[in-house]
Amino acid sequence: MRIPKINLKELRKMKEKNFQERLEFIDAYARWVKSQPNRKWSSRQKDIIGSRD
Amino acid sequence: MEMHFRKNSIELEKELNMLDRLAIDFSSEMERLGVKNAIVSGYVSILFGRNRGSEDIDMLTESMDFQKFMSLWKGLEKKFECLNTSNPETAFNDYINARIPLRFSKRGEFVPNMEIKTAKNRLESWVIENRKTVVLNGRQIHVSPIEVQIAFKLFLGSEKDIEDARYLYSIFRERINESVLGKFLKKLRVESYFRRYLK
Repeated sequence: MRIPKINLKELRKMKEKNFQERLEFIDAYARWVKSQPNRKWSSRQKDIIGSRD
Repeated sequence: MEMHFRKNSIELEKELNMLDRLAIDFSSEMERLGVKNAIVSGYVSILFGRNRGSEDIDMLTESMDFQKFMSLWKGLEKKFECLNTSNPETAFNDYINARIPLRFSKRGEFVPNMEIKTAKNRLESWVIENRKTVVLNGRQIHVSPIEVQIAFKLFLGSEKDIEDARYLYSIFRERINESVLGKFLKKLRVESYFRRYLK
């Protein structure tokens, strides 16, 4: 099997871009949480994290 | 998001997820057994709404001698089991004293679990002394001050840690004690990370 050439510089750049996007998403999500009643954001959070006692 | 800020506490009502329930149940046992503690790390951001999973909740406790640890062990074992060992002497000597976290889950479960370790340095003792009380749906838990949490997450430095720091800073931006935050950023030598990722 031939392994393709890998451009590490390009991958690192992509990784950094993805991370920047994640940080921007976190800002947007924090703004959304702050604007919503607790019932709404915590209900979404419970769906994702789970509620098993 | 509705939070009520008191002098040394924050009141929060939310729909509880399984991590919240574990934090409340375990903290209430620790209080009952008289062991001073503070929850640190990822769960602090999850408590205030960050939407990510975690298999554990990190808790710092005050230092304990074997006698106090035994009373904690006996008190916990009704509802929780230690995942590392079933022998309290091993737990104390090979984990607590060796600064290796000890994990407890509710009986018969494995995750999520509480990862506890005793405070052994000045920073950890400061966190416990200056902990904040969160009244979560009427039940008390104690967490690290947000300022040190942000700085320490930057110190840890993984993408997940930086995201946690950024989230906490976004949520508490108007309430942060900038002077305290600045001191911890300086002490932990993460001012450049703060400027790069949080400003």
